[in-house]
Amino acid sequence: MKLFAAICAALAVTSVVGASLCAQVSLAPNAIGKAPINNWPTFNGDYTGERYSTLTQISTDNLKQLAQQWVYRITEVGAQRGAPVPIIKCTPLQVNGVLYITIPDHVWALDARTGKELWHYDWVDHGGHLVGQRGVGIWNSTAFFLTPDNWLVSLDANTGKENWRKNYADARKQYFSTSAPLIVKNHVIVGVGGDAMDMPGFLDSFDPVTGNLQWTWWSTPRKGDPALKTWPNEAASDHGGGMTWMPGTYDPELNLLYWPTGNTNPVFAGQGRSGANLWTESIVALDVDTGKLKWYFQVSPHDTHDFDNTTAPILFDRIVNGKPQRLVAQAARNGFFVTLDRVTGKYLVVKPYVPLDYSSGLSAQGEPIPIPDKDPSVGGSINIVNASNWPAPSYSPKTGLAYVNSVEGKAIYYLTDDSDNPSGYGGTGAGIGREVRVLQAIDPLTGIAVWKHAYPNLSNAPTTVGPSILTTASNLLISGDDQKNLIIFSADKGEILWHHELNANESGGIITYLLDGKPYVVFGAGDSLYAWSLNK
Amino acid sequence: MCAALLAGSAAVNAFTQERQTGGHEGVQQDYQKMTPEQRSAATREFLGLGLMPDTAAAARGAPLFAQNCAVCHGKAARGAMGPSLITSDRVLTDEHGERLVPFLQKGSPGKGMPGFATMSDQQLTDIAEFLHLQVENVANRGTYKVLNILVGNAPKGKAYVLAHCMSCHTTETFAHIASKFRSPEQLQRNWIWPMHDGSITADVKTSKERFSGRVTEISDFRITLVDKSGKTRTIDRGPGVDVQINDRLAAHQEIVMTLANDDMHNVTAYFETLK
Repeated sequence: MKLFAAICAALAVTSVVGASLCAQVSLAPNAIGKAPINNWPTFNGDYTGERYSTLTQISTDNLKQLAQQWVYRITEVGAQRGAPVPIIKCTPLQVNGVLYITIPDHVWALDARTGKELWHYDWVDHGGHLVGQRGVGIWNSTAFFLTPDNWLVSLDANTGKENWRKNYADARKQYFSTSAPLIVKNHVIVGVGGDAMDMPGFLDSFDPVTGNLQWTWWSTPRKGDPALKTWPNEAASDHGGGMTWMPGTYDPELNLLYWPTGNTNPVFAGQGRSGANLWTESIVALDVDTGKLKWYFQVSPHDTHDFDNTTAPILFDRIVNGKPQRLVAQAARNGFFVTLDRVTGKYLVVKPYVPLDYSSGLSAQGEPIPIPDKDPSVGGSINIVNASNWPAPSYSPKTGLAYVNSVEGKAIYYLTDDSDNPSGYGGTGAGIGREVRVLQAIDPLTGIAVWKHAYPNLSNAPTTVGPSILTTASNLLISGDDQKNLIIFSADKGEILWHHELNANESGGIITYLLDGKPYVVFGAGDSLYAWSLNK
Repeated sequence: MCAALLAGSAAVNAFTQERQTGGHEGVQQDYQKMTPEQRSAATREFLGLGLMPDTAAAARGAPLFAQNCAVCHGKAARGAMGPSLITSDRVLTDEHGERLVPFLQKGSPGKGMPGFATMSDQQLTDIAEFLHLQVENVANRGTYKVLNILVGNAPKGKAYVLAHCMSCHTTETFAHIASKFRSPEQLQRNWIWPMHDGSITADVKTSKERFSGRVTEISDFRITLVDKSGKTRTIDRGPGVDVQINDRLAAHQEIVMTLANDDMHNVTAYFETLK
């Protein structure tokens, strides 16, 4: 098998025919969702969002043997709009010895044994924002890729040859795509981003063979929906935002998707949209076959701070009051740690995990009640910066703790459009004072941090609230600081066990798997993908 | 979803929100050094907003729009009885009137939209440019400007300063403070968080030596400082290395974390009187 794959990889470089004959990559949909061991087949590895590996080959005892195996550097892409250098913000996928990585407009397949390029797909966009790309989704021998200008592209996973393309949103209306499609059964679930023109968010499900649309779920209610009472009128709801730009999670037994929805629009100016503004700033549970809403929990009712609720909702099971319970938890960007029953959406824990003073308490449903004086204003209003962001958190069933890289700090928010009918962002926020980056290990049944590690730094929090986190069954927590150090902590106590200075901060997602029996840790940092393993 | 230093105006930071507030990432460039026009153009390119509207034509179109269109579409074209035109396909697929002008001549009578056949092509083009400028004003956050932030009560601000600031400062500190900043917003930002390169110093003890100085880099693994003589030292942080950090701005960080909005506005209003 090893020899076969190696030959295939060699052929793929020289001959399209050779690669298609080999067809070394094939991932049956029913193989997705199991604990990743020999591959890393989805954005989160499995469907839970735990980013926890059962592998124990790399452990506290042998970290001295950790050594770089190869580096793949993106050299053929120059400056992109708004980005002078490429930054890998994807979680790599690894299937049958092939790694898939992306940046906006580009997909590469690499030989996971050597880091050599197998193929490269180059998309010519017509608009859209080139801020990041989170990776591909794989269904059998097809790789799905989302472009900045909102095309779902079906690629032959073995050759990079395009099968078909389908447009699902208008880039002129400032919709743009950065997400990794989530593959569930025969569904390709596609989320979208966009803020500048007050468009409504949505989630689409496509047929993986034909590209036909199966269903659409809108993030804000349409005509006739009772949830419209959380908006002043239908027009405000139609322009209410709630983008779906990060991949959700999925419970196969409940057949439910758990999707985080982004900020409300207009972003900072809430005076034209009185009400809670459902289902923006929420965790929503959707039937994966129909897109029908089963329940919602709104983490930031009537958001005016771009709290953009897109941090991963992590699924895990625990014994609560003597009974097994299916839970979902999120270290939300609004500074609250939220744990819900994922069957019903009822809350167990809603508790601040950073210092904050903008909420007067919780509603009967457990939703934080914002204090109006903390809304952006003409004279300026001080409130917290986003406490987390898209970089992946983790949950370890071994320690029972949820892990997040958080930021403690404040910003002054100004209202720049004080009209009755604001549109767009309508305001702006500027960080002030010191922002401290803190890695937290939070008990999801109490919302209280069991340990914290504040990363010392002079400058403020980095451009993204990363890096991402991976935990393992050997009590390792792999993450990093914003000074180019990849750091391994003990997951139970937060002790630093190992570190290595890279050329850039870890910038995408950290994955691990066994290949030919050898344990790998793979991650992007800046323009380079790094593969590490144990040297003998 | 936006990157770079703290400080600068809010308009600057409209591009840099991910660094600033954790919001949206944007263009990875140094906007501090750009003129407002450059910032606007860079954001326009990043967002893929297409051609810049003709602002002179838009100014001519403004009264025409107010007279003929605003009653249905709102004064800034954001919708009233009729729909918002900010996300209208007809507006967004038009560049300089070539599609909108023929449409406006005929209107869409079935939907209650009258035609404007008596207006000249130039007038209708001016209305089209006015619409493009309304889209620009909404969608290009690089053009956003803070409003008049002087909403506070100066005497109350003075009382706050006397009660809270005089254990570290004297009235000399604040004399002519408003004249040091180019806008009230800069003043507000800087009295809360004064910029000092040397605000963090450290005393480092190793088994053999002691160093003190201004910290230029610190992580879990290394500290770099510049001592009084200007000499730079980099020390690996390991067992037996003791690092004591001193933050001259610790009291200001306390202000950042606890300041009430009214107090902020009042103190800024007071300081603005100290030209």
